[in-house]
Amino acid sequence: MNWNRPLIVGLLVLLAALAWWRLQPVGGELRQTRLLMGTTVEILVDGADTARLESAVAAAFAEMERLDRLLSRYRDDSDVARLSQSEGGATVAAETAEVIALGLDVARRSDGAFDLGLGQLNDLWGLDQESPSIPTASAIAAALTGTGPAALSLDGLQVSKHSPQLQIDLGGIAKGFVVDRAIAVLRKAGVTSGAVNAGGDMFLLGERPQRPWRIGIQHPRQQGDVLEAVQISDRAVVTSGDYERFFEQDGVRYHHLFDPQSGLPARSCQSVTIIADNVALADALATAVFVLGPQRGLALLADYPQAAGLIIAADGSRHVTPTWAAYRVAP
Amino acid sequence: MRSFWRFMTTGDWLLVVALLAIAAAGLARLASAPGGGRVVVTDGERTVLTAPLDSHNSFELNGPLGLSRLEIDERGARITAAPCPRRVCLTMGPIRQSGELIACIPNRILVRVEATGIQEAAFDLISR
Amino acid sequence: MTSSAVDPQVLSRARRQVFLALFIAVAVVLHVFETLLPTPVPWLRLGLANVMTVLALYLYDGKAAWTVSLMRTGLGALLLGRLFGPGFWLALAGTLLATSAMIVLYRAAGRYLSPIGISAVGAAGHALGQVLAARLLIIQHDAIWQILPVFLLFSVVSGVLTGWLAAVLLARLATHPAFQRANVIAGEEREEERKL
Repeated sequence: MNWNRPLIVGLLVLLAALAWWRLQPVGGELRQTRLLMGTTVEILVDGADTARLESAVAAAFAEMERLDRLLSRYRDDSDVARLSQSEGGATVAAETAEVIALGLDVARRSDGAFDLGLGQLNDLWGLDQESPSIPTASAIAAALTGTGPAALSLDGLQVSKHSPQLQIDLGGIAKGFVVDRAIAVLRKAGVTSGAVNAGGDMFLLGERPQRPWRIGIQHPRQQGDVLEAVQISDRAVVTSGDYERFFEQDGVRYHHLFDPQSGLPARSCQSVTIIADNVALADALATAVFVLGPQRGLALLADYPQAAGLIIAADGSRHVTPTWAAYRVAP
Repeated sequence: MRSFWRFMTTGDWLLVVALLAIAAAGLARLASAPGGGRVVVTDGERTVLTAPLDSHNSFELNGPLGLSRLEIDERGARITAAPCPRRVCLTMGPIRQSGELIACIPNRILVRVEATGIQEAAFDLISR
Repeated sequence: MTSSAVDPQVLSRARRQVFLALFIAVAVVLHVFETLLPTPVPWLRLGLANVMTVLALYLYDGKAAWTVSLMRTGLGALLLGRLFGPGFWLALAGTLLATSAMIVLYRAAGRYLSPIGISAVGAAGHALGQVLAARLLIIQHDAIWQILPVFLLFSVVSGVLTGWLAAVLLARLATHPAFQRANVIAGEEREEERKL
């Protein structure tokens, strides 16, 4: 057995060297959160190369900030602000045009339940401000002039406004669009597993290391409880609820999802969750369906067969599209 | 199974019982230990504070606008006082599930719940 | 033996090598076969291959036990395509701890124990080794210790089972002429070898 020992020792040394090589740090999960677009934006990525992940996330945030500068109505130099201030319209960047095009499409198909011109109405109610209050009927009527699916038209990069005082607000779709762009940046950087979550509007890229993403849907009436859970991979999930931004007066809740017809908060639903393959569409549909209510909302969603929807109506009843069942999992 | 018992010696018995007792003790300790879950507070970039979820605690968090108060109890973590104009953060709690977030954006305070156990977080993210 | 060309010592060594190779082969087959069985948790296995390690320990010595267990771990991983993957390191750590524990216990208290006890300790060591490796290499988080009690429980139970199997086999084999001389020769070698 004499010549066996050096051989064994040699093999063990080889084993040790291989072990050393294989045990180099393997990366893992990277999570970063920033305050952006008036909400918290969290990017989560999973992969082997930490340095590459970090640069991908940084690039994604940079793109989100760039788009926020274009689409935010709170910046004086944004496309949206310029459009709102103009008399008849303006030329916008390609991204802005894309968002407007999608928004107008949803606005038309939902018969105006989704509207891009609610800037004045939002300012009037002041849910963003310190002391929101119930506006008068005449103030609401004034704020609603010029709104509707035909309020804007798009020709290439030229947007035309048909009412000079119309104030554009892309809030119901811009956040989703920005998340989609962030995901595109991550994809291009080679990320295959990750998530971008902007205040509850999210896209789940790929799957978690061992399984698809498990997303819980906030219960509209029970804080801290999950209503149901869905299993997601390469899809967007957006929930619109009457519990997110609101104030109460005389026991009545006034929330931020307005019915463009009445100028008052929509009363047909408690919450709507949409799963689609991009966040911009999911965002717009969630708002539209919330305003439309369960019956008309499901009819609208029938026009979008690749989307799935969950509607909790005002009376608490649950309505889903036929496509929803494929995503649902036991919580 | 008579042939089985034939083989076991007293020493075997002692050993096996001792091992099982260690396992049982470990299980008992697990059952009584706090369920896990951790509250992490950041200012958007750095972690400012972490605290266990299963506890009773009150913290004062400093932000550009002033002091926000964070309270943790059996209902979860929530902000009970804040200097921001909208006070949205006050309506966002209590959070208990891993992945849930409360944010006071004007005061740059983010409160998040993270799972600590190896039993995975029930949900990766919450859509709201 | 009448022929001078067949030295009893050489014959015994040859026999030992052949049998250990056989044990390794059987252990590898058992190891690979086990992975086909359904389990609640992916890496929770019966540890049938450990029977061969215990046999090697009892019929020969600690060095034989090391040979069988290490080769089984390596070859098993090779066959399953897991060589140097994360699961391999866990298994290796488990094997290292298990075999050490079994040998130490055998030498210290072999008189008071049967293969069942030895095997139970081996199984427990395997579980501990795996969790330890997982803590150091994969989940750098103390939460991993939470699985140890359950893991340990299952391990001890399966260890008793495989120990019984080993005991039954040993009862048959230990008296077989093929293994008699080997014990004598191995006993002499054992005094020379310090290696654990």
